[in-house]
Amino acid sequence: MAKTILAVDDSGSLRQMVAFSLKAAGYDVVQAVDGQDGLNKAKEKTVDLVLTDQNMPIMDGLTLIKNLRALGSYKSVPILMLTTESSDEMKAKGKAAGANGWLVKPFDPKRLIEVVQKVIGS
Amino acid sequence: MEMKPLPITELRSLLAAVSDHGKQHLVEVEADLMQTTILLSGAIDKLSISFMAVHEAVTKQQQVLDSLMAIHHFKQEEVDLLDNLTKEIGNEVNSAVTAMQFQDMTSQLLTRTIRRVNGLRDLLQELATHGNEMDPSHEHDEIAKFLDDMSHSLHVGSHALSGGLRRSVDQQNMVTGDVDLF
Repeated sequence: MAKTILAVDDSGSLRQMVAFSLKAAGYDVVQAVDGQDGLNKAKEKTVDLVLTDQNMPIMDGLTLIKNLRALGSYKSVPILMLTTESSDEMKAKGKAAGANGWLVKPFDPKRLIEVVQKVIGS
Repeated sequence: MEMKPLPITELRSLLAAVSDHGKQHLVEVEADLMQTTILLSGAIDKLSISFMAVHEAVTKQQQVLDSLMAIHHFKQEEVDLLDNLTKEIGNEVNSAVTAMQFQDMTSQLLTRTIRRVNGLRDLLQELATHGNEMDPSHEHDEIAKFLDDMSHSLHVGSHALSGGLRRSVDQQNMVTGDVDLF
């Protein structure tokens, strides 16, 4: 059974590129348009990995991570940030919030798949 | 010696003119930025649709080729050529996926610029409002206080505007970003 990845980003084109890359590698992808939408979808079905942007309306990525980590079912689910933010300060905040990794946009599909496979397997 | 009255009316006119002309130009800047945002959004939508359609067609084409290769005997050089073309297409698809992420970054930059333009317009409005509070009948000290308050208000407003517009996109090109696993 294919593993499911929740991709959270307010940019439709970015979500489309993430979903395209992950589906091509055999993963199922659930898409969410902001942190709140991501939290709602994560509660509906526990996914194998969350890939989230940072700067989004309604709820940002760091807040989403904190909310997910507060849920029993997401204590150990890997969460990766995929964002334009590249400062050490923001990375430290992500790590403190409970992120397992930080990917700076733009992403290379091949590299993204390698990272995802390393984190949750094929 | 009798002191000449301060040219308050002229000063008010100057502040009003700076404010009005500035705001008019900023309205145009905002309109251009909004139009750019819409054009970029429309472009990426069309690019994405075409990209997906081309990819789907190429995938089907590959399936047909695989079926033909299973039935017919191909020369080794033809098989190698097809393999190389498949790899080349894969590399180009990856490059296209990376390049098509431009809209996410440009829209963030445009949104930040539009917010700055709006903030600047508010500051210019403040300039005119403060200017209107001055009156030729006011004493020299009162006028000085008005100008000082105006200067302070602009400084605070400008500082608040910059503080609320943290830069979130530092990328200068479409080279792929770093990956850190914690």
